[in-house]
Amino acid sequence: MSKYTATIGIEIHVELKTNSKVFSPSKNDYNSTANTNICEIDLGYPGVLPTLNKGVIMSALKACLGLNCNINKKMHFDRKNYFYPDLPKGYQITQARTPIGCDGYVLVDNKKIRIERIHIEEDTAKSLHANNKTYLNYNRAGVPLIEIVSCPDMHTKEEAMKYLERIRETLFYLGVSDCKIEEGSMRADVNVSISDNDTLGTRTEIKNIGSISNVGIAIDYEIKRQEQIIESGGIIEEETRKFDSATNTTVLMRKKETGNDYRYFPEPDIPYLEIFDDMISSVKESIVLLPDERRKIYLERNILPINVEKLINNKDLSDYLNNFIETDINFKIASNLLLTDILSYLNKNRLSIFDTKLSINKFNELVTLLSDGIITNKIFKDIMIDILESDSSVKDILKEKNISLETDTASLEEIIKKVLLDNEKSVNDYKAGKENALKFLMGMVMKEVKGSFNPKLVNETLIKMCKKM
Amino acid sequence: MSKYIDMPISEINKLLKNKTIKPIDLVNECFSRIEKSDLNAFITLDKENAIKKAKELENLPVDNLLFGIPIALKDNIVTKNLKTTCASKMLEDFVPIYDSYVKELIDKNNMIVIGKTNMDEFAMGSSNQTSFFGPVKNPWNKSLVSGGSSGGSAACVSAHLVPFALGSDTGGSIRQPSAFCGTVGMKPTYGRVSRYGLIAFASSMDQIGPITKNVYENAVLLDAISGKDERDLTNIDKDKNFTSLIGSPVKGMKLAIPSFYISDVIDKEILNKFNEIKYMLIDMGIEIDIVDMKYLENAVSLYQIIALGEASSNLARFDGIKYGYSYKKAKNLEELYKKTRSLGFGDEVKRRIMVGSFLLSGKNKNEYYDKALMLRNAFNIEFDKVFKDYDLIIGPTTTTLPYEIGSSLNDPNKGFLDDILTNPVNMVGLPALSMPIGFSSNHLPIGMQIIGKKFDEKTIYKLASFIEEKLNLDLGGAYNE
Repeated sequence: MSKYTATIGIEIHVELKTNSKVFSPSKNDYNSTANTNICEIDLGYPGVLPTLNKGVIMSALKACLGLNCNINKKMHFDRKNYFYPDLPKGYQITQARTPIGCDGYVLVDNKKIRIERIHIEEDTAKSLHANNKTYLNYNRAGVPLIEIVSCPDMHTKEEAMKYLERIRETLFYLGVSDCKIEEGSMRADVNVSISDNDTLGTRTEIKNIGSISNVGIAIDYEIKRQEQIIESGGIIEEETRKFDSATNTTVLMRKKETGNDYRYFPEPDIPYLEIFDDMISSVKESIVLLPDERRKIYLERNILPINVEKLINNKDLSDYLNNFIETDINFKIASNLLLTDILSYLNKNRLSIFDTKLSINKFNELVTLLSDGIITNKIFKDIMIDILESDSSVKDILKEKNISLETDTASLEEIIKKVLLDNEKSVNDYKAGKENALKFLMGMVMKEVKGSFNPKLVNETLIKMCKKM
Repeated sequence: MSKYIDMPISEINKLLKNKTIKPIDLVNECFSRIEKSDLNAFITLDKENAIKKAKELENLPVDNLLFGIPIALKDNIVTKNLKTTCASKMLEDFVPIYDSYVKELIDKNNMIVIGKTNMDEFAMGSSNQTSFFGPVKNPWNKSLVSGGSSGGSAACVSAHLVPFALGSDTGGSIRQPSAFCGTVGMKPTYGRVSRYGLIAFASSMDQIGPITKNVYENAVLLDAISGKDERDLTNIDKDKNFTSLIGSPVKGMKLAIPSFYISDVIDKEILNKFNEIKYMLIDMGIEIDIVDMKYLENAVSLYQIIALGEASSNLARFDGIKYGYSYKKAKNLEELYKKTRSLGFGDEVKRRIMVGSFLLSGKNKNEYYDKALMLRNAFNIEFDKVFKDYDLIIGPTTTTLPYEIGSSLNDPNKGFLDDILTNPVNMVGLPALSMPIGFSSNHLPIGMQIIGKKFDEKTIYKLASFIEEKLNLDLGGAYNE
């Protein structure tokens, strides 16, 4: 155990999934052919003015509410001034003084990781460096972002990774972003410092880490690097570093100049914006059950923890299952059904559960038949494709396939009779009080019926017939 | 030689309607006058398209008062496919890919754009001497400055080269050259005219406005260029009817004159002329009081902090990467930025960018910029107080008469001091108009300013029109065929 405690804070940039850009009517899709989703506003042409996409405000509001933030009801935008070719106007429109949200949190293992602020800003153009040249793709210029700034509340890489995972899944559930961290729609800057006393150490910032696992690796490396410097009598300097995924190390980008001067001032082209209470309540109403609420419900309804996480990771299946929250169907069985054979079917066919013929009534019927022991898992597997692909009810499918249910006792009795006749010794053993013999006979019968009868029914009929022999 | 341009537009309109003349006659007259003129009022002329447009209009009904009327636009108003330079080397060859909203409205009203007028570079100046294309000469005396920054627009209307022009006013850039050239120039309420397509100097103060030969036509033109534009979030469309009060009785109106506006900073001749008007108005039953207003003497410093701060940011986009001048021999990005901006901008613009950047940097921001914003609010309150008791505020437009070209170049503060009477209203967004009220002993025009409540341009026009009619000045002197 190291004598140093690490302190970690994270800034996350998340691209919002809106139809158009934040300050112009151009399409918000930078995967199109380069420089096709642009207009004079995105290029920062002389004389242009920003408009404000209301959808961005609504999405950001949703993110803030989903992450338990207070809302700044009167807010404005600010200009952050600096020169770079990817910044068409020579300034970025952002929110410095009045972030839309502040003082939020997420729970990581029941510990609150506080969110200092969430603000809206515009993305820059994308630079591509090749052939000793820089190419600029302005499709990304003006794509709406929210920046989520945590308090330095994390102390281990595990906490940091879980924090990111919580944010990612929450925003994904809110539907405000794709949160495809590998594709750049979510990017993290991590601040790390270490200390062996109550005073925080000097922090370094690691920019633009492209995956949650790399955040873990980068934090690990950075903690060790800082420990080594301090142990060998050195001093940590405030600097910006970048993660090198080829070597799993962090490398120096630049020393922090004293007081980076972005000359912030209120954006005069966008008037102050008021967020009214009815706007907040209508956004609140539109928020679906979030992952933590779902976890609580699932655990209460006896879903195995491992399956709870699997459901959270598959929002479609979780949404589907949530149709039954008000019913008393067996969630454990229901989740097992969804996460095993049905999930493999969906994956194999690249379908969503909502693309199948598994209506809510049908699923209810299926889970009830299974939990009442009327059909077995084996029977379900045999008829699963019919259930998912045909309009018929489960009972009709069973009928079509000539699969016997409890009512068809005649054929069951015939099979049992044959087994009993073939195993007279065991029958006698059972009659003599050897319970093991019954288990053996039961196994033999089940083998004969190939699992197509309800085991409870088989058991009862078997006992009845043994006694008669 | 025809003299249609000298007529009021209502008469031109009659002639167009009864087919005595065609729009092309007006266009030809403008170009023949411009070609003979040596005022340097224009940067770019668009003869080919003006003639084309005039020909197109021949087949259309004359459906509004502005139909077929030629107009000149200040060269910071973006025009699609027509060079827009801002009088800067930075945009010397810049041809925009879109139209400003006012240009769209001009097209909609079937007016004819003649060309783009000279101005101070990026509207930074008050004598038109910072233009990359050289100073505009004052039509009343060609050795004198036209004023600025809308010098070309005021001069070309004053000299009857075109009937109408649009200017822009951030601290006095419509009113001050209007006073120097003897035209009527209106700086509308902030938000009245869409700024979409106006190359920004100081976004929270810039407004486009009309420069005309008389008050009525000014109101008509303002009506045509204002309206709701979704692309400018600061744009507000309300209370138009600008001509509705023209001709209604002025008796009983209450006017305020801030004591600072008649203090010894004002040239004696200007002050005397202004006082004549004051007494004339009192004689007509108008109540006039001298009022003390706080902060007016600080207006220049306040204005510099806000305007230059914003300007330093607004002009950051001219970096040699996307459009405009670009230093081609740069070996790296740093050199590209430095050389492009130091060679592309003129001295005054660079000075203002540097001052603005300084004012927003580090601690200065709290010390200057934030404090200026607070004072701006106090300013607002000060004006609100006066307008509780008075309909309008009046005063001279300028502190001096037009001065010699070249005389002010070594004093960087001169350009700001010229605006000392005009820039307070820009900081609080009020509408203000400058109109000619007479001449100095050496026959130079003297201007008077009328300041109104927000969105109450119509009351300004009411008083201005009354004064205009009373004085009945001969303003044709600037046009010598």
